Amino acid sequence: MKFLNHLTFGQYIPAESPVHTLDPRAKILSVLVLLTGIFLVRHPLAFIPWGLLLAGLTALSRLPFSMVLRSAKPVLILVIFTSLIHIFFTDGRPLIDLRIVVVTREGVTMAVYMGLRLLFLVLFASFLTLTTKPMELSDGLERLFSPLVPLGFPAHELAMMMTIALRFIPTLLDETDRILKAQLARGASFDRGGIWKRLKAFLPVLIPLFVIVFARAEDLATAMESRNYRGGEGRTRMNPLRWTGADTAALGGILLFVALLFLADRRFLS
Amino acid sequence: MRNPTHSLILAALFAGLTALGAFLRIPFPPVPFTLQVLLVLLSGLLLGSRTGMASQGVYILLGLTGLPIFAGGGGVTYILSPTFGYILAYPFAAWTAGRLSRGGNTPFSKLLLAALTGLSVIYAFGVSGLYLNLNYLAEKDVTIFQVLRIGVIPFVIPDLLKAAAAAFFAFKIGSHRSDFP
Repeated sequence: MKFLNHLTFGQYIPAESPVHTLDPRAKILSVLVLLTGIFLVRHPLAFIPWGLLLAGLTALSRLPFSMVLRSAKPVLILVIFTSLIHIFFTDGRPLIDLRIVVVTREGVTMAVYMGLRLLFLVLFASFLTLTTKPMELSDGLERLFSPLVPLGFPAHELAMMMTIALRFIPTLLDETDRILKAQLARGASFDRGGIWKRLKAFLPVLIPLFVIVFARAEDLATAMESRNYRGGEGRTRMNPLRWTGADTAALGGILLFVALLFLADRRFLS
Repeated sequence: MRNPTHSLILAALFAGLTALGAFLRIPFPPVPFTLQVLLVLLSGLLLGSRTGMASQGVYILLGLTGLPIFAGGGGVTYILSPTFGYILAYPFAAWTAGRLSRGGNTPFSKLLLAALTGLSVIYAFGVSGLYLNLNYLAEKDVTIFQVLRIGVIPFVIPDLLKAAAAAFFAFKIGSHRSDFP
């Protein structure tokens, strides 16, 4: 009986590509620019160049297109639902009249526009996590937020906590699985009785788990402090982030694309 | 009193536990429910407001960087999902639960009140998130009552029980250890 084997790790897909090797900071900033660009689109036709850009980026990052599409799954229902609502409930010139519902020309346009906008937002955002390891992202975030450190923002602490959590999730998963099996072997049942009874059945799982967590935390704190860990100040890294010409070029290219498209959209389409 | 490194590590480990909470499903037909809310409230009750809040913040960041630790997966795209409000509430819920339950040897009634207030923070954020998402991102008009019907009513009874369980667990654990805040 395997309880906890649903966890296939991460969205990241390793590949040798120019997108994978970019500095995580460049990728975070580029994605922010891209998402802003998509929010500014007014005309459905403007999504054609966006689609081309998506295809281009997918090819450039050597990702299978199906993997990129799969990342839209969490919002797929929302996309479909939104489109349907707009098809049937927008006033305008009727296209199909089914007596109860009327499909209008404006409705179809709106549905396509809203659906595509959501879909593109999700797909472009997913590039960040598909091509960047969580560790790189947390490094990148630490550096991007470092100007806020004098204001009291715990940039280093957050990154360090992310690293530790990342390291310990598999361990915690194993421990939990072990405790669950141990309790099952002793006659515990997690699938009988009312909700309250089932919840209470987890007490003998959570207590040993918390004991382990508190013991681990103490050990790790002692280990880190005896190696002179004292926060982010003056700390150096094994693999420092390096911003290269390629990063500037990538960010610049994206900015240029979004700006041109924005102008074209306002000038010729809207 | 715990030192900063110790708190930092505890917050990180509780972020990991919350991530596990998404996978600990209790089979209960028709919808199995997860222990997530329970662990969010427990992190506040056991670690105190600041550390509890930090642990949930780390949990969200990890999920956003692509680990599949939210109920429906993970990744930055989750921000656009209609249920992101519920997740965004976790740090504030943990903070609230921790704040209201501070002081050593907390009686059960105080823990219960803290857990329930924390739960109401989750719902407040969740419902507003759902409302904003549906009205402004999906641009369709839904009233706050419709949002309450899809976002609160189906889940509120199991969640109330989870909040009670969190208080009960915190009480049990707290009576065995003296170094809780």
